Amino acid sequence: MSIFINTQTKVLILGITGKTGSLQTKLMRSYGTNIVAGVTPGKGGSLVEGVPVYDFVNEAIEEHRINAAISFVPPKFFKDSCLEVIKHHIPFLVTTTEGVPDHDVVEVLRYASLNGTTILGPGSAGLIAPNKCKLGSHPPQMYREGHVGVVSKSGALSYEIGKTLTENGIGQSTVVAIGGGPFWGLTSTEILKQFEADDETKMIVMLGEIGGSMEEDAAEIIRQHITKPVVALIVGQSAPQGRSFGHAGAIIQGDTGTVESKVTALKKAGAYIAKNPMDIVRIINKLEGNGE
Amino acid sequence: MKLFEFQGKQLFKQYGIPIQSGTLIYPNSSVENLEPPMVIKAQVMTGGRGKAGGIKIWDGSESIGEIIESMFQKRIKDEEVKAVLALTSVEIKEEHYISITFDKENSKYAIIAGISGGVDIEEQAYTNMSSMIVMDIDPLLGLQEYQIRLIAKKLNMDDYGAFKNIIIGMYTMFRDYDASLVEINPLAKTPDGLVAVDSKVEIDEKAFFRNRSKIEDFAEQIHTLVGADVFSANEDTITYVPLSGDVGLVSDGAGTGLLSLDLIAQKGGQIANFCELGGITSADVVYKALKKASMDKNVKSLLVVLIGGINRMDHMAEGIVRFYQESFNDIPIYIRMCGTLEDVGRKIMQDNNITIYENLNDAVEDAVNRIKE
Repeated sequence: MSIFINTQTKVLILGITGKTGSLQTKLMRSYGTNIVAGVTPGKGGSLVEGVPVYDFVNEAIEEHRINAAISFVPPKFFKDSCLEVIKHHIPFLVTTTEGVPDHDVVEVLRYASLNGTTILGPGSAGLIAPNKCKLGSHPPQMYREGHVGVVSKSGALSYEIGKTLTENGIGQSTVVAIGGGPFWGLTSTEILKQFEADDETKMIVMLGEIGGSMEEDAAEIIRQHITKPVVALIVGQSAPQGRSFGHAGAIIQGDTGTVESKVTALKKAGAYIAKNPMDIVRIINKLEGNGE
Repeated sequence: MKLFEFQGKQLFKQYGIPIQSGTLIYPNSSVENLEPPMVIKAQVMTGGRGKAGGIKIWDGSESIGEIIESMFQKRIKDEEVKAVLALTSVEIKEEHYISITFDKENSKYAIIAGISGGVDIEEQAYTNMSSMIVMDIDPLLGLQEYQIRLIAKKLNMDDYGAFKNIIIGMYTMFRDYDASLVEINPLAKTPDGLVAVDSKVEIDEKAFFRNRSKIEDFAEQIHTLVGADVFSANEDTITYVPLSGDVGLVSDGAGTGLLSLDLIAQKGGQIANFCELGGITSADVVYKALKKASMDKNVKSLLVVLIGGINRMDHMAEGIVRFYQESFNDIPIYIRMCGTLEDVGRKIMQDNNITIYENLNDAVEDAVNRIKE
């Protein structure tokens, strides 16, 4: 099995009539994702890519079985649309929206945790289980089915590594992008635990970046709970300190969040450290050779 | 967006938090009506102002004109002083620290109180955690009275009513203004009651779509004093970091940008600037980014790393073609383009005779080698 999504996933799209929402709906559908309904307030009754659009989440739920949602709404509608999904107990919600006010993010995450909705994001590119389901913007040509689970903050970096793995004959079980932070629903540590429990995943690639302490936290989980090999690549080792590099999290302050502190923690926890994408391929090939 | 002390205090006043009376002074303001004793404070954004000479007591023995004049001559950690706040002095019996901010670890709010406030509060937090109280606040429930009572007890507040009003004022303001930080350091006990002697307030720029009208006056003042245009800086999503090497870099993701930065270094190159498009991007944004990165006179070759998910390669190609057509210099450009709608993007590039790379390593190598030639 893959994690969070599979061939049984039935998807609701929030903000389906927008430019990004409608294009991504088309791309997910052509990959085979089962998209059953969309919601855009005021656009109920129309069709997007053959998918029926409703004004409210409850109207969509009355007509369809839905067990996952993905949101493409602009920041000002983020809170309202998420709260509506959570209120109706859809168990899994991917939010791609970036630039959401911090106050709205913490309210939504808190409400979700009280009501049993798992949130991936905000600012997440989503996830893909190659050949089964794509819930997000991962370009499908970068992936093939296999046994390596990939977790990344950055969406683009997850595509890049997917591409490198695929070009070198290494397939993936699920590739997950959690978003650039500084607030997260699902964190790397929770994704690692899911991969550990997933039969299809034999190895894990963790993509980190400078700033924050998530990689250090993940190292602790790897040490305690993860028996599968973890290959880690931390990007930004040549970035100067104290400057922000796009992701809210990607800033080094003091001596926490440096590549060294992350690499040291991960090495100690038994993870293999790659220096660049091709290095990941070399390490995986070596591990597979040794395993056989 | 950080506020100046006088701006934060204007909000404090609005929310019933007691402050000293005072006058804001610009270089040409009259100082005739001022009466000693007063505290003269440089209005700068940077921290550690007191230690850098940005705070002076005026007891009447010196000329106030000269004190203020010399304050305007100062640079506080590289920041020019463009305004000075003259405050009636208060007799401080005790100093405490209070702030409300985000608890990033738990995705909640946090209220932080320190038994003794003052300039070394960060150090205190590291060395003597027992003198600090940190409590989380559930964003859905809000600040609770028992939390205020707990802090009041720890800080030995004898006037609980006045203290409670201050904390509630801070929390209400934190929510109303989409603040990411509301800090009083120090909150002083004086013979006349509690006084917020300093203010530090930061407002979330991501909430400008709904709080813009509330903070327009502050933004205007900041523009006048430091020249920074708070709103226009936030209009596009480009992150631009100038560095000192000679390879320019434009990427459509922070993660791939950082990866490219490492690959450039591993191949022996040095990066001139880091330009990330951010968010859902467009032809216009990539065009602007290319212009910005290539304008840097250190740039001898430019690497463009695009891998689209939500970002569309047809739009990227349109922006790149526009840049080529208007290009005013001959910096060699190395473009790796793939991902969403890559076929359409590739076709546009081909029609305009622009070569693109498939493989990131190849593009990086050529961009770096060009400089070595």
